Amino acid sequence: MVYGVCMIHAVFLWRKGFRQHDHVSFFLMLLGLVLHTAAMVGRGFSLQRCPVNNLYEATIFLAWALALACLIVSLLPRLRFVSAFAAPVLFVIGVFALMPSLDPPHGPKPEFTGWVTSLHASFILLAYGSFGLASVAGMMFLTQQHNLKFNKLRAVLSLLPPIQRLEIVTGRLVLVGFVMLTIGLYAGGHLPRPDGVAYWKETKVVWSGLLWAFYLALLIGRWRFAFAGRRFACGVIGVFAFLLLTFWGTNLLSTLHNP
Amino acid sequence: MPIIVLGLSHRSSPVALRERFAFADARIPASLAQIRTSGIADEAVILSTCNRVEVYAATQLEPAKAFSELKQFLTTIHDYRDPLTDELYSLSEPQSIHHLFKVAGGLDSMVLGETEILGQLKQAYDLALKHGHTGARLNKAFQRAFNVAKHIRTETNIQRGSVSVASVAVELAEKIFNSLADRDVMVIGAGDTSEKTARALMSRGARSVVVANRTYERAVTLATELGGRAVQFDDWAHEFAKIDIVISSTAAPHHILDRTKLEPLMKLRRDRPLLLIDIAVPRDIDPEVNFLENVYLYNVDDLQSIADDYLTQRKDEIARCEAIIAEKARALLSAATPSHTSHVTHHLPNHA
Repeated sequence: MVYGVCMIHAVFLWRKGFRQHDHVSFFLMLLGLVLHTAAMVGRGFSLQRCPVNNLYEATIFLAWALALACLIVSLLPRLRFVSAFAAPVLFVIGVFALMPSLDPPHGPKPEFTGWVTSLHASFILLAYGSFGLASVAGMMFLTQQHNLKFNKLRAVLSLLPPIQRLEIVTGRLVLVGFVMLTIGLYAGGHLPRPDGVAYWKETKVVWSGLLWAFYLALLIGRWRFAFAGRRFACGVIGVFAFLLLTFWGTNLLSTLHNP
Repeated sequence: MPIIVLGLSHRSSPVALRERFAFADARIPASLAQIRTSGIADEAVILSTCNRVEVYAATQLEPAKAFSELKQFLTTIHDYRDPLTDELYSLSEPQSIHHLFKVAGGLDSMVLGETEILGQLKQAYDLALKHGHTGARLNKAFQRAFNVAKHIRTETNIQRGSVSVASVAVELAEKIFNSLADRDVMVIGAGDTSEKTARALMSRGARSVVVANRTYERAVTLATELGGRAVQFDDWAHEFAKIDIVISSTAAPHHILDRTKLEPLMKLRRDRPLLLIDIAVPRDIDPEVNFLENVYLYNVDDLQSIADDYLTQRKDEIARCEAIIAEKARALLSAATPSHTSHVTHHLPNHA
């Protein structure tokens, strides 16, 4: 709810052209994070273990990590508005986390066990977090780039960072996310799987491979084919939107993740 | 003999119209002579910059008639046939004197309080003086205008902050590039404003500057002053692959850079961001290039909106400046009144 309010406030900031930092988005995000942390801690105490055991909890943990990262980054003067751009992403992640079947009743043991499983889950979650931050930076890039082209006064007066810096940040976050996704998927490939499951026909595996290929294409395009600027930012946002929109569905269809 | 002003500026007309009425320096003396020989005015000064074209005249004609004839002169000399409504403004005393002082003080400039206009006004006046087109009335008014500009500069804070084309250009560059430290600048056309803009960028750490000018010697002089290098005017496109910021201010009557020319050059640059600052009138760069990916084009009119915001932030200073202008204009006009009166009285018997 608080992330939703922060998102609505972000719309007003956007309409004003990000001219003055009024700290409202920062404090809303802080309030959201405090409530978020309290809820996670409460759930952890009630379960008597760290609450990252199923997809719902993993998604919530991802949103929490994103919110924390955004708050830390927004302490930098030139990146103060990052929380305003992150709020819609957090709100959408929160809504998706509430989808049915992601939070089945807990059994006697955590569903994620073993170090390979932990490595697989943690790296993939961190990769998604990195892609989320990259899409936030991409949104900031598109806003400022559009202003520089067509709303020049707003561009000069806004407190957003230079677009070249935003593009560099977006590219680096995608690269970091891609490396973590690769490690996570590699670790996932070494996990034991139930008999009768055709690995390369499994929905989540195909989807993950597709996601990996999309990010690889973005990185190669930027590195070799001058796929930069607005096109790169749109690509990063588009692929992350694909991730968010299909995450829940592929998990429901997956025999590995939703047996 | 009252002083009148007829002209058009960034406040009244778009750049597309101003460029139609712009005077090349070489044409001004003959145009001034034409104004005087045709009997429109006894004294005249033409101020033609990228933001304004104005004729200051001391005339014995009734203001309405003088305005009509000056308007006819401007449209004829520029072969302009379309109708004009509010684009041209005409001012007679005391508003004409107020206007002259405001222009000299940078209060009527696109970027409030900028000092480039004072240099341009001095240049316009010197040109008219040198060719004998000024007399007692305009000499006194212009000298007083320069004095008022100095007074405003020293007594008020009107110049505080980003108030020049150059510093606004630097601000824009800082919104695009991560750092100016490793940026290469190209100056096409060695004008006064482009020199200042390049200087401002260099002072903020730009790596190098390349100057291209039709007169190669002028390019060499400016490049030496800026610590850069000069290239032949026809070779500027060959340097483009390395360049990040272009400041263009040539006197070319047509676009020197358009979309067709820029597209292959952008590929050579691997689509790195390119900032184009077109301060020429007529414009040097086709506005269509702004639709190219990673190209950011700004012309003199684009700076208007930025200047407007500064205007609101400096309202208090404007009020102080206008008080100075009102006082100085009153002093000038009251000093001129006795001689003006005696001049009229002198002619009364003839009328009788």
